[in-house]
Amino acid sequence: MSNLVLETENLEKVYTIGRRKINALSDVNLRVNKGDFVAIMGPSGSGKTTLLNLLGCLDRPTNGKVILDDIDVTRVPEKALWKFRKHKIGFIFQTFNLLPYLSAIENVELPMEGTKKSKSEKRKRAHELLEIVGLSARKEHKPPRLSAGEQQRVAIARALANNPTILLADEPTGNLDMKTSFEIVRLLSKLNLTQGTTIVMVTHDSNVASRAGRILFLSDGKLLNREKKGMHLLKGDLTCPHCHKPIQPDHTFCPRCGKKIE
Amino acid sequence: MGVLTRAVRNVSRRKMRTFLVIIALSLSMAIMISIPAGIMANQKAAQSIIENYNNTITSMQEEINKTSTLIEISASSRRGMFFGTPSGMPFPGFGQEEAFINATVVDEISTIEGVKDIVPFLEVSSEETTEDTMSTPRGSFTISRPVYTITGVCLKSTLIDNYSILPTNVIDGRNLIEGDSGVIGISLNLSDYYSVYVGDKLKVYGETFKVVGIYNSTARTVYMNITDAQRITNNIGNVTRLDVYAQGISYVNSIADVIEAAYPELYVTTYEDRLANLERTQAMYETTLENAESTISQTQAVAFQEILIAIVATSLIVLFMMLYTVRERTKEIGILKAIGFSNWNVMIQFILEGILLSAMAGGVGALIGIVGAPVISSLLLPSVNPFSAQQPGFPRQNINFGTALSQSVTVTPDLQTLLLAFGVFLLLGALGSLYPAWRAARTSPMEALRYE
Ligand SMILES: Nc1ncnc2c1ncn2[C@@H]1O[C@H](COP(=O)(O)OP(=O)(O)OP(=O)(O)O)[C@@H](O)[C@H]1O
Ligand SMILES: [Mg+2]
Repeated sequence: MSNLVLETENLEKVYTIGRRKINALSDVNLRVNKGDFVAIMGPSGSGKTTLLNLLGCLDRPTNGKVILDDIDVTRVPEKALWKFRKHKIGFIFQTFNLLPYLSAIENVELPMEGTKKSKSEKRKRAHELLEIVGLSARKEHKPPRLSAGEQQRVAIARALANNPTILLADEPTGNLDMKTSFEIVRLLSKLNLTQGTTIVMVTHDSNVASRAGRILFLSDGKLLNREKKGMHLLKGDLTCPHCHKPIQPDHTFCPRCGKKIE
Repeated sequence: MGVLTRAVRNVSRRKMRTFLVIIALSLSMAIMISIPAGIMANQKAAQSIIENYNNTITSMQEEINKTSTLIEISASSRRGMFFGTPSGMPFPGFGQEEAFINATVVDEISTIEGVKDIVPFLEVSSEETTEDTMSTPRGSFTISRPVYTITGVCLKSTLIDNYSILPTNVIDGRNLIEGDSGVIGISLNLSDYYSVYVGDKLKVYGETFKVVGIYNSTARTVYMNITDAQRITNNIGNVTRLDVYAQGISYVNSIADVIEAAYPELYVTTYEDRLANLERTQAMYETTLENAESTISQTQAVAFQEILIAIVATSLIVLFMMLYTVRERTKEIGILKAIGFSNWNVMIQFILEGILLSAMAGGVGALIGIVGAPVISSLLLPSVNPFSAQQPGFPRQNINFGTALSQSVTVTPDLQTLLLAFGVFLLLGALGSLYPAWRAARTSPMEALRYE
């Protein structure tokens, strides 16, 4: 079996408003391998969100297939789709979409509700995730008291809660300033490099897109043939948590200080 | 952090709205427990009135049976109206002048065949009068009536030992005995009224009497030797009524016939008359009770409607409240579904919130109901008077469903009603939020996320 985790076949989405039909997506064939960090770029209205919603099982295509982990999700009945959303997909939104009345850690625990994990296991996992996104100190704070960047970190931790097959991010930096955008995208690429998280990210921002491994272009609902390689692994992106010297993603021990890298 | 925690947070997040909804719902709950409490209290009270009535009838029957050889003769029609209780005069001398039987009549009656004993009584009103306000359906007016009744009785021991002549319920001092003169026995009510007790003196028609005994009675009466009574009221040789005892039941009718023929102005009442009288009274009471029961069941119909309205109102309040909540939280529903909540998870979330609201309101409403049941039930249930005839032994006033028919029964919701109503309330909370929750569950996540 290949490394393919996500594949679309002739994906098509037509919105109908009254008598008007909008071809939001047509004939999209996309292949995402395990460990890919894909950025999708395109002008406003080109169908980026539509595509991501279809990949994330939030909406149904008019035609075509979405194959996630070898399963054609377009044939899964609506009632059972939640399982895919819960276990295979982690969604990250432009507007973070945290529940404002839950603390950071409670927001991260939310997707684990109804899973086999015990209460303390959920708590432990949520704590771990907040540590990974660098927010363990703010875990009891509610979203309104966190900065935009911090909220997006919580949202990323939440998306990772159930160890999804793929992370889908719709303009994750769209509401952030340049510096914070950079931090968030750095976090995503770190996840991709260290944890092997597969990521599909939609963005307007070519600086942000350039951090991905592959960059795809969507225009008028069609995926363009040209695919760009991103810079992906910038020197200095990855540093040892102990001595802060640059390391490679496949390092399990820091070549400088010799300590173990988690 | 489970679904319940989120429900609690959401309900407590919108304090003002939750407060208002709880107020509205708790009133509905209070109504649901107060009305049955009002109805039940009055059923109990009606029950106790019926029991009282049955007891009264039975004891009257016994009394009548004991006095089968008694022929009552009186100069006025007053006696017998109140089923001839030997000492019972509910309205002493009210609005009527005493008429007298001359002592010669007594001698003549004693010669009739079959007569065993004759017990004379002299009943007169006191000189002192009191102002009383009577309220009637046509308005209230003041009347002046005597403070008490004087009953002069023949104190021969052969009579007072064998017949029911003097009251027997002496609670202080002693009863009157043969040879007593210048002494009186008075009722407790009168003792309280004048603050005179055993050993004290009381002036009656200008003459001073010594109180030797107190009878436990709510009437105001003075008992004395008949000769004393005749002297002080200037009625030498006069009596107001006679109890004629026949030698056997077989003589009763013939004696009554002779007396009626000889003295057409006198009122003669025999055992049979008294029995017939009792039966009439009984029939009257029974119709009244039937009326009372039908009135109570009519009230039950009203109560049923009101409870139904409370139930519908509760469901609607929950329904609209939850519809509003679901609409307001569309975005949240979208988020929950996007991160993997199933339709069922979302539905449970909102149903639980509905139940939580109704549980809180149910608790508050139960408290309001326990405290306010008398007020609420009297406001909501019509004031009716099933005991329309003003009869002794029945309450004269309209039934106020807040205060129950009799003092011994209070309007308080019982535990069973409380639990039942609470259960119904939770169910209504669940039912009312069912549709909104279902709508929440079927929201498309994509549409919900676009919602602002
Ligand atoms: N639910 C909908 N109903 C009708 N038309 C829609 C709907 N969602 C999207 N569209 C239309 O489909 C087209 C693609 O929209 P989409 O949101 O996917 O674009 P996008 O690339 O994400 O744009 P942006 O960069 O502004 O977010 C647009 O013309 C949009 O108006
Ligand atoms: Mg978009």
